Amino acid sequence: MEVTPTHSDPSFFKPHGTTMRSEVRVISYILSGWLISIVGCQLFAYLLEVNYSALLLDDLIFFNLPIQFWLSGQLLPLWFIILCILFNLWMDRRTVQNLEGSLRFRVKPTRGEDE
Amino acid sequence: MAYGMIQLVPIAIVAGMFALFILSGLRSRSGQSSEYGFSGSYTGRVGIGAGIASNWMSAASFLGLAGIFYLKGYFGMAYVVGWTGGYVLLLVLMATQIRRFGKFTAPDFVGFRYESDTARTLAAVISIIISVIYCVAQFRGIALLVSWLFGIAYFPAVIIGTSLVVSHVVVSGALGVVRNQKLQYFVLIITFILPLMLLTRKLGYFWILPQFGYGAAISELQQQFGFNWSEPFASTSLFEWLALCFTLMFGTAGLPHVLSRFYMVPGIRDARWGVVWGLFFIALIYWSAPAYGVLARLFEARNGLALNTGSADAADMIALSGAGLGGAPLWALGLLAAGGMSAAFSITAGLLMNGSASFSFDIYPRLIRPNASEQDKVYAAKAFFLVLAAVVMTLTFQPWGMIAEIAAFAFALAGNTIFPAFLLGIWWPRANATGVICGMLTGLVISFTPLFIGDSLPVIAHLFPLTSSAFLGAPLVIIVMIVASLLTAPPSAAIRLFVSRDVHDCPEN
Repeated sequence: MEVTPTHSDPSFFKPHGTTMRSEVRVISYILSGWLISIVGCQLFAYLLEVNYSALLLDDLIFFNLPIQFWLSGQLLPLWFIILCILFNLWMDRRTVQNLEGSLRFRVKPTRGEDE
Repeated sequence: MAYGMIQLVPIAIVAGMFALFILSGLRSRSGQSSEYGFSGSYTGRVGIGAGIASNWMSAASFLGLAGIFYLKGYFGMAYVVGWTGGYVLLLVLMATQIRRFGKFTAPDFVGFRYESDTARTLAAVISIIISVIYCVAQFRGIALLVSWLFGIAYFPAVIIGTSLVVSHVVVSGALGVVRNQKLQYFVLIITFILPLMLLTRKLGYFWILPQFGYGAAISELQQQFGFNWSEPFASTSLFEWLALCFTLMFGTAGLPHVLSRFYMVPGIRDARWGVVWGLFFIALIYWSAPAYGVLARLFEARNGLALNTGSADAADMIALSGAGLGGAPLWALGLLAAGGMSAAFSITAGLLMNGSASFSFDIYPRLIRPNASEQDKVYAAKAFFLVLAAVVMTLTFQPWGMIAEIAAFAFALAGNTIFPAFLLGIWWPRANATGVICGMLTGLVISFTPLFIGDSLPVIAHLFPLTSSAFLGAPLVIIVMIVASLLTAPPSAAIRLFVSRDVHDCPEN
């Protein structure tokens, strides 16, 4: 049997429906946080090196490490874990909401029954 | 570091660790029927995370990364960020959606989503090439360790290492050993961090968290020995750093053996939380790995040794040789060697078996013997396993580069081919077979061009460095896929509806 989609195809940039729209919105936030942190940390280290020479980087020690080592080696992996946790929490919440919605639909009383 | 003599204590520790894994695997075999396993048992989200992490650990993580830090300093951070940041991409863009396709391998996914046997075969061929390249990096690590353990040259060590890997797979298969990935991960992390704690304690640094304690070594290297760590982009450009970092991230989200973890996990929610645990376990290794490279430099400087920039072999073994110079006891060196060997063995065995399975189920019955029975396919898989091992062994004789660099090339290939195929396959229902075939072929060309004509065309080598080509390559492949898909007929209505409705929960009207 020929199956024909009755609407135009959704995509990441053209999400359809509430579920996909909200999912794409959260993914965009997470990926923005991911991209900005990676590029931002490197630009920060690069600009410090270019504009202030090595002297400032020598003095900027965080948790016993030079700032660029701490940012890239310690903070970014931790930040990625936090981003993943945030995404999962949001997905879990959405799953529960969808489930509640479907349960409400299922237990809706038929006409004539007490609510 | 003493070459030319047999390291009896480390050999005993390596043998003991393999015996432990085999015995543990035999014990967990009885519980297999009630649990779930993709070469291992399912034990909740932490177990999935440990499985992801132990599946990920390799010679590149154990040995290669320290070598990169030793030789290239801050440039090594691109590996740390790339190999952890890729899991964010994997989680948010692929992990949940892949499960909804219900396919078990990368070629399966490509064949189903793009409704094309040609695309499926091409994906299988690419998966095999990725496995071979990745295995070369692992075989190199195994050979270097065998060379150190038995005090023999690199060439015979490659042959012995290959024989050991093949024997390991055959014996494990014959005995029906199930990989206990949780145990394996926790043993690996102990073998990696315990020697590091010993070394930092010996130096009087903050040894309880050596991941931070090694900062004192950086200061000492700067102040007393004039090593310049404070100019992160002095020897490499910002572009090179970002290109490598993003290539590794795209590759992480495109490596077939990494993606396969998500096909098999029982629940979507478990798969998602398993990624978080896996990323945490992986980060534990990468928070620590730079310390080995930095400490090795310090020990060399203290002993009046110059930085050895010419030898990739020496750099790849710097975690062990640095620990030796720092006065770590032989049993600690044995732990480190056993961890590296175990990580390289398990990933190599998995990759070779995946490669042979791809051949026997995706290529052999389609291109070589269309009427092959199930028994024929099993024989083909066994034969191809040996062929793959021989090919990898032959390639490992060549000094292609450092372990981490060879692994990065495999990531670049995955990032240029499988990653775009999955990304558009999941997120754009209009992507079709022509698009994915053109895209994957373009990805192959982009990945291998710098290897073959990079010397004669420097602009190619600059824009698409061999180990970092997916930074510009993956977006280019995505553009090729979009253009080729739009210029040709759309995929069937059924698959478009499946992606919209079943994968993304879009309403039908």
